[in-house]
Amino acid sequence: MMQNLSTLFSKNRRLLPLSATIILFFIAYAVGAAYLPGMRDTQVFLNLFNQTPYLLVSVIGETLVVISGGIDLSVGGMVALTTTASAALLRASWNPWVVMPLMLAMGATMGAIMGYFITYLNVQPFIATLAGMWIGRGLAYFISNESIVINDRIYTLLDRTKILIPGLSNVVTQKGDYITPSVVIAMAVFVAANYIAHYTRFGRTIYSIGGANGANEQSARLMGLPVNRTKVLVYTFNGFCSALAGIFLSIYTRSGQGLLGNGMELTVIAAVVIGGTSLIGGEGYVFGALFGVLITILIQTMIQIQGHLITWWTLIMVGVITLFFIGLQSVIANLKIGQIAGTKVSREKRIRQVLLYGGGAALVIVLAVLAFAVLPNATHGSANAAASTSRACQPKPFRPDQAASLMKAGAVISYERNGGANCIDELYAIYPDGRITGDNGTQQIEKQVTSDDVDRLLSFISNAGWFTDNMFSTSHVPCKVCYTYFTSVAYKGQEKTVEAVDGGTDAPPEYWLVTGQFSMIVPIFGPAP
Amino acid sequence: MKRSKSSFEWRKVTESKLFFPLVALALILLFDLIFIPTFFHITFQQGHLYGSLIDILRNSMPVVALAIGMTLVIATGGVDLSVGAIMAIVSSVAALLMNPFVLGTQLQAIKNNPTYSYSPFWVVILLPLIVATICGLWNGLLVAHGKIQPMVATLILMISGRGIAQLITNSQKIQIFYGPFRYIGNGWILLPFSLFIVVFLYVLAWLLTRRTAIGLFIESVGINSRSSLFSGIDEKKIKLFAYVFCGFCAGIAGLIATSNISTSDATSLGLNTELDAILAVVIGGTLLGAGGRFSLLASAIGGLVMQAVTTSMYAIGVSANSLLAVKGVVVILIILLYAQQVQGLIRKITGRTKLKETKP
Repeated sequence: MMQNLSTLFSKNRRLLPLSATIILFFIAYAVGAAYLPGMRDTQVFLNLFNQTPYLLVSVIGETLVVISGGIDLSVGGMVALTTTASAALLRASWNPWVVMPLMLAMGATMGAIMGYFITYLNVQPFIATLAGMWIGRGLAYFISNESIVINDRIYTLLDRTKILIPGLSNVVTQKGDYITPSVVIAMAVFVAANYIAHYTRFGRTIYSIGGANGANEQSARLMGLPVNRTKVLVYTFNGFCSALAGIFLSIYTRSGQGLLGNGMELTVIAAVVIGGTSLIGGEGYVFGALFGVLITILIQTMIQIQGHLITWWTLIMVGVITLFFIGLQSVIANLKIGQIAGTKVSREKRIRQVLLYGGGAALVIVLAVLAFAVLPNATHGSANAAASTSRACQPKPFRPDQAASLMKAGAVISYERNGGANCIDELYAIYPDGRITGDNGTQQIEKQVTSDDVDRLLSFISNAGWFTDNMFSTSHVPCKVCYTYFTSVAYKGQEKTVEAVDGGTDAPPEYWLVTGQFSMIVPIFGPAP
Repeated sequence: MKRSKSSFEWRKVTESKLFFPLVALALILLFDLIFIPTFFHITFQQGHLYGSLIDILRNSMPVVALAIGMTLVIATGGVDLSVGAIMAIVSSVAALLMNPFVLGTQLQAIKNNPTYSYSPFWVVILLPLIVATICGLWNGLLVAHGKIQPMVATLILMISGRGIAQLITNSQKIQIFYGPFRYIGNGWILLPFSLFIVVFLYVLAWLLTRRTAIGLFIESVGINSRSSLFSGIDEKKIKLFAYVFCGFCAGIAGLIATSNISTSDATSLGLNTELDAILAVVIGGTLLGAGGRFSLLASAIGGLVMQAVTTSMYAIGVSANSLLAVKGVVVILIILLYAQQVQGLIRKITGRTKLKETKP
């Protein structure tokens, strides 16, 4: 029995990292759903996909590159270039159906050029694609230093269209759980890439090139496989994928700027590793890319729903999980050697290795937890202590009458923020002379900024499209620890109120930019008396 | 006879590690000479030298410091992607040591007070360096004992390191007013003070690698780690040493960079600097991915080349963001100099003259 199990295990050990990824994803989701009620909403699950078509596509491309034994750092730069170039072309009122294929062709060409450098001029993939990344991002800034808003009808339509899931939604009222068109296209690319990798001659060649530090490439060459052509094609495909990712991102954010996709190459490579692909090359599955992306986004979502929008926790968690998978891969790689040697020494080595990783990971986690436990308490006082106790918060109802009376009293902005992990209920009013008042039910607070600051804030809000149809109230409440917002703004004779809920709603991205501005300017309440 | 001898020496020059970095630097300076007339003006102001060339020296110091450590790592056949993140961690730790109250509310009281520091100066310098060295140790353990591919092993710290740095300062930018610390990156003794620190670091690295056998061991591990193992070199210790030293260098670079901008910025300090440092080493002729022979001086010149490109582009009015594109093109051009085809061509040219002259 044991014998059978071990043969089964060693026969399928290639599948081990992938299955570990899939199992980890489901465990993490189950744990999340158990502790965070907001995670149980099916829309939150679907949003894992809705947020990621661009990441998924680039991870698919990168996976193929990594399997072929290379690496592509140009993803982020290409994404920035694509968004900016398409935004600039659309501003010049080009037809979007011309712009999109043009962008894809541009991405593929850039990829091909990099592939040519790598294959025929023997430039290290790291260096060639690094130059590609810089050129891409630099050109993006060359086109425009500022963000260009995309107002094109087709892009808006692609962003707003909801493909309702049958059975989970009401088709008549157009409400319920949905995915976006980008997800459908990304999944199509995903299926196609799986087919290419496993059922075509080209795919087999990619696998045969990668691994063993270039020795396999030599063997493939001696076998008469078209190594050079395959390598160029792999980079071309990844360039295509990056451009597609750029198009998705410009649809999602409806803007183009050089800053978009900053540091994305890191996330992508980490997702490739988490997806069970060995960075040495030659091993891995495109199928893993999907779960690599899902885990990365799941961590982000969980940290967001948990209440504190802290980006650095995402970074640390992704690092720790990457470490875990790399450890796993290296243990598996050593299993092979262990099978040949089959001695006691290798086992001791393995144990030592496991101890090293376990100890290392534990150390990082302990350090991180310590830092998390000590530092915020020093700064926010008891605010964080409350976070751990009151997980589920019933958001208090808005106080629209009070907000209206504040607006009548001359305030230009009234901003109410309820809920969150700390179950707060804060209503702020900002006056044109720079006075900011806050009221959280139990205490009042006041802060003075300059009237210029208020002017700047107001024009920012107005430029973000507050008074256009882009800003609309959403009242979908999936999550008991999310913040709910009730914001009124009066500017140049216009007045408008928008309600929104964070964590899995469909408020436009500009809304969150505005909210971010508010949270920077309003005073912070001290610990409750 | 005389001519053939000179051409022989010429060939020796082209094969030197220093040749290509110097050619690249010369090309850029030639460009400056033609297009920016004031580029070479050096004046004496406020007790120190002043001019674009001095600017290059001053601004390139963090990258040069990184390049010194990175050279050893790349020579062992590895690469360290985490140096930028280590710089950010160092910056956060140092800032917090000087002013832990900044996370609270007492910032106003100590604003613009150059004599105030919560911890004594030596702690502010030493503790961040120790932290950086521990980061290097972590990388080294993963690579040498964990047998993980260097690019992946250091990727972990590259991703989570920046997160840790933000965690330490609660993602705030902390302004630094403490005078002695600001002197590191802003002080002058005729030349920028940071230059002396980096020269000291260079001499230290040179003594360690060229006056002991460590340099030779590093090269042999890089060329063939297996055969060096069989000839009695403890490959693991050598690799560990290289990564630890690289972490230490990143610590110094982090202190200089933090002091230079007088702000601890966990989000963007040292962002993409690892790429600059790796390129500096590659320009210096150490082979990325293959390892082997290295030259510390060539890497340092590589760092100067990177900064010279940046400064010249600023001087002709390229905006900071579009600069990346120019940098990318320059990188491609410089790397092409190293491509086998071009190298062969250069050999042919220098070799052919030799053949022609020796025939008669």
